Amino acid sequence: MTPSAPFRRFAFAFGSTFAVLYVAAVAKDLALFTVFPSLGIVLAGTHHSRDIADPAMGFLAPAMYWYGWAATAALGALMSGLVAASLPARSVRHVWSGWVWLIPALSMIACVYLTLPWFWL
Amino acid sequence: MLGAITHQTLAAWEAAHARPASFFGRFRSVPSASFANAVVVLYAVSTLLGGIVYLYFRVDVRPELERAGHWHVLGFFDLKEHFAAIGLALLPAYWVCWRRPLADEPTQIRTALTSILAFIVWWAFLSGHVANNIMGFGS
Repeated sequence: MTPSAPFRRFAFAFGSTFAVLYVAAVAKDLALFTVFPSLGIVLAGTHHSRDIADPAMGFLAPAMYWYGWAATAALGALMSGLVAASLPARSVRHVWSGWVWLIPALSMIACVYLTLPWFWL
Repeated sequence: MLGAITHQTLAAWEAAHARPASFFGRFRSVPSASFANAVVVLYAVSTLLGGIVYLYFRVDVRPELERAGHWHVLGFFDLKEHFAAIGLALLPAYWVCWRRPLADEPTQIRTALTSILAFIVWWAFLSGHVANNIMGFGS
């Protein structure tokens, strides 16, 4: 199996775009869907426990956003990857390929920043 | 997976410097690219299984950690889930860089990608075990 140049462009665009969109999804609370594991239900979009249960009973219906954040980012990254794969090779020749690791590395630092409130409790 | 990605990372960093008879010279004589398929498959399977177990963690384990005030552990665990997702999306680029490198492609790209994945795998391993064992600490 030999990956073609379009697949290479797809892979590079997918990885870096996913990282950016994932951080955006976490920061802006943009989950494609929300999972309520104790109730066994999945709702489209972002829903907080207080939206579906009395605030005092919210702990009985914990919401999970990680799957939805990842799905949001994957959807955007998929589109970005397909666009990159469809472009002619000469149009991306001058794009620095190091973005494929630098953007995820910076996104991980952004995730650390977004997680800092846990460490101030 | 820990062994494969660690071996590959160290070999990638030492690629240009190791003397043939040294420990690292022998260490990197194993073709690092051969680990790539295993790392991709094991990472994907681990993330899938972790995603399933995470449902039970959220319902049964996390509330206990919150009640016990282990906020730092929850922070480390949140970072684990963020890093794991970003790493999962990097697998196609990582695979391409190792299995089908371009002749003029700098090796720094695959070294950096491998290092990021190694960091994520080790972070996930350590934070997962701490979260798993934290309720036993000091008891």
